[in-house]
Amino acid sequence: MIEAINLSKTYKGGTGGIRDLNLNISGGQIFCLLGANGAGKTTTINVFLNFLQPTAGQALINGLDVSREGLKSKNYLAYIPENLQLYPNLSGLENLAYFSGIAGKDYEQEQLEEFLREAGLQADAYSKRTQAYSKGMRQKVGIAIALAKQAKALLLDEPTSGLDPKASNEFAETLSQLKDKGVAILMATHDLFRARESGTHIGIMREGRLLETLQAGDVNHSELEKLYLTHMN
Amino acid sequence: MIFRITLKELKENLREGRIRLSLLIVLALLLVSVFISRGYYLSVQQQHAEAKEAARDVWVSQDEKNPHSAAHFGTYAFKPKYPLALIDQGVDKYAGISIYLEAHNRNEAQYMAAADQTALSRFGELTPDFILLFIIPLLIILISYNAFSRENEQGTLRLLKSQGLNMWSLAMGKWWSVFLPVMLLCCLLFGVAAIFLGSLEDFGTLAPAELLIMLLVFLLYYAVFINLSLLVSALSKNSGISLVLLLSIWILSCLAAPKAANNLANGLHPYPTRMAFEAAIAEDKKNGLDGHDPWNQEAIRLEKAVLTEYGVDSLHQLPFNFDGYRMQKSEEHEADIYFKHYAYLREQHERQTDIYQATALFSPFLPARFLSMAIARTDYHTHWDFADAAENYRIQMQAALNNDFAQKTSYGDWSYKADRKLWESIPDFSYDPPELGEILQTNVLNIVILLLWFGLSLGGLFFATSKL
Repeated sequence: MIEAINLSKTYKGGTGGIRDLNLNISGGQIFCLLGANGAGKTTTINVFLNFLQPTAGQALINGLDVSREGLKSKNYLAYIPENLQLYPNLSGLENLAYFSGIAGKDYEQEQLEEFLREAGLQADAYSKRTQAYSKGMRQKVGIAIALAKQAKALLLDEPTSGLDPKASNEFAETLSQLKDKGVAILMATHDLFRARESGTHIGIMREGRLLETLQAGDVNHSELEKLYLTHMN
Repeated sequence: MIFRITLKELKENLREGRIRLSLLIVLALLLVSVFISRGYYLSVQQQHAEAKEAARDVWVSQDEKNPHSAAHFGTYAFKPKYPLALIDQGVDKYAGISIYLEAHNRNEAQYMAAADQTALSRFGELTPDFILLFIIPLLIILISYNAFSRENEQGTLRLLKSQGLNMWSLAMGKWWSVFLPVMLLCCLLFGVAAIFLGSLEDFGTLAPAELLIMLLVFLLYYAVFINLSLLVSALSKNSGISLVLLLSIWILSCLAAPKAANNLANGLHPYPTRMAFEAAIAEDKKNGLDGHDPWNQEAIRLEKAVLTEYGVDSLHQLPFNFDGYRMQKSEEHEADIYFKHYAYLREQHERQTDIYQATALFSPFLPARFLSMAIARTDYHTHWDFADAAENYRIQMQAALNNDFAQKTSYGDWSYKADRKLWESIPDFSYDPPELGEILQTNVLNIVILLLWFGLSLGGLFFATSKL
């Protein structure tokens, strides 16, 4: 569902970017990309979103090359950035209805409320303007947008950064539900603990290269930390 | 999709206090300005009717006198006020409202309304055209300066793009969300104006098509500003920069460009000073036929020519009064002199208009302003047309009076006195302004320039959104 074939992106001056990345994330998998700042995690996500053009290789979503069929490939993916922002003068429900509508999905209010409930947003917040929402609440609306879109692929860029442990845990639970529904998830994160807990697969990146890929269940927290630090040094 | 975006943008904008308040203020200003203009319009209409009637009454009630004395007594031509002046007063207040029509002289329009105003009026007046031409573009900037830059700043643009939204659809959705409230404001203003004008007994020359075309001109003008605002917002890295750039565009377009155009036009094609203009006319008159001076060289030459033409030896043998005939020939000669000098003024005016139109390539304000004034019949073109009509009337009036004197008396008979019958036989002055078709034809370049502004700014917006 989310596939990178010899994918490279070089910025002017040759710094940063990604080099020869190969990935294949199937439905029902959560692939956590670990790495320091500048490792190429966000660049990878931006290339899959077609916000950046790859220098070489292919980024595929549901078999569609995103740089050739950008708009079509977006029918299958949803995206939640590190700090998801919504329209502050609209309620959570209105934001959800708008973003779903943009994606070509029209729902009745009850269905929209169901998505918000499924994403874990408390019912009394549905009709409140999102200017009063916490980051965690906004992330939940982001999940609801992804649910409403019925996306087969989900791209997450540091989604739990800045969330309190409870909100982070709720977010992980929602991801797990999406995984169980067969969604392929690519999550860029610094959070080793969350990667180990939520991910089915973990990749460690450094200077644009994917240095190691492993199954989350094959290592414990301390082994993962040790491995990560080994690659970072 | 565009409709969905428009609805969302409208909802968001209307929930924002800054925009709601601005809309309300502009709406209130518009209504107040129409109300003020209505009062001014009614007052001027009444003054015009009263003055016209009084002048006619004075003319037909004058004592029995020699027709040429009546020609010197003279009368007035009053410039009528046209219904759309309610919306755009144009140059009316600065161009004079009446012309004194007398023998031998072509006079300028006098009694400018601006002369009766206080110094504070130099800072502008609360008129519908002021709101329509200056304030609504500012409102557009206020609503849309951050249309794209805010989406970029808060990150919603990335989310929208990830949803597969085409950026041109986003631009069009935003475009309509700015255009619709502005159109509503405009329609409200024009609707109130139409209701008011429709309730007048003297409905004047207003045709609904003219009101509609004027509305379309303003809407096109606003469409240009919306394009520019969205374009700048799409290209700006942040909303602050966008606002500063757009305010700069507004200042340049609406304030600086008209003044620069005026200075440039006056510099390149200046009008002669009044003193020089009058001196040149006096010089030409001096060298020509003087109807009051039978010893003038031209008068003597005319006398000889007439005697030869009629095959007589004495002016007494002519079948008409040569004094009246000479007076008329003198009028015709003076009319030619005025025609020549005013034609030069008209040429300078046309050359200045060319400069304005060239400057309009740098400011959408100018073509909109010229079109609006032209449709309202409050531009200089209409004023020139009125002055020409008054001059033609003066020439015909002088001819009627001089010919009466010439035909009904014989040479040397200055005792003849015409009465009310003759005064009444000269029809009252009436003036019909140029038809809409003629106005549009005269202003075709302004229409083309405004459309060019629309097309280029829309193309720029398309280009900018393709880079988002």
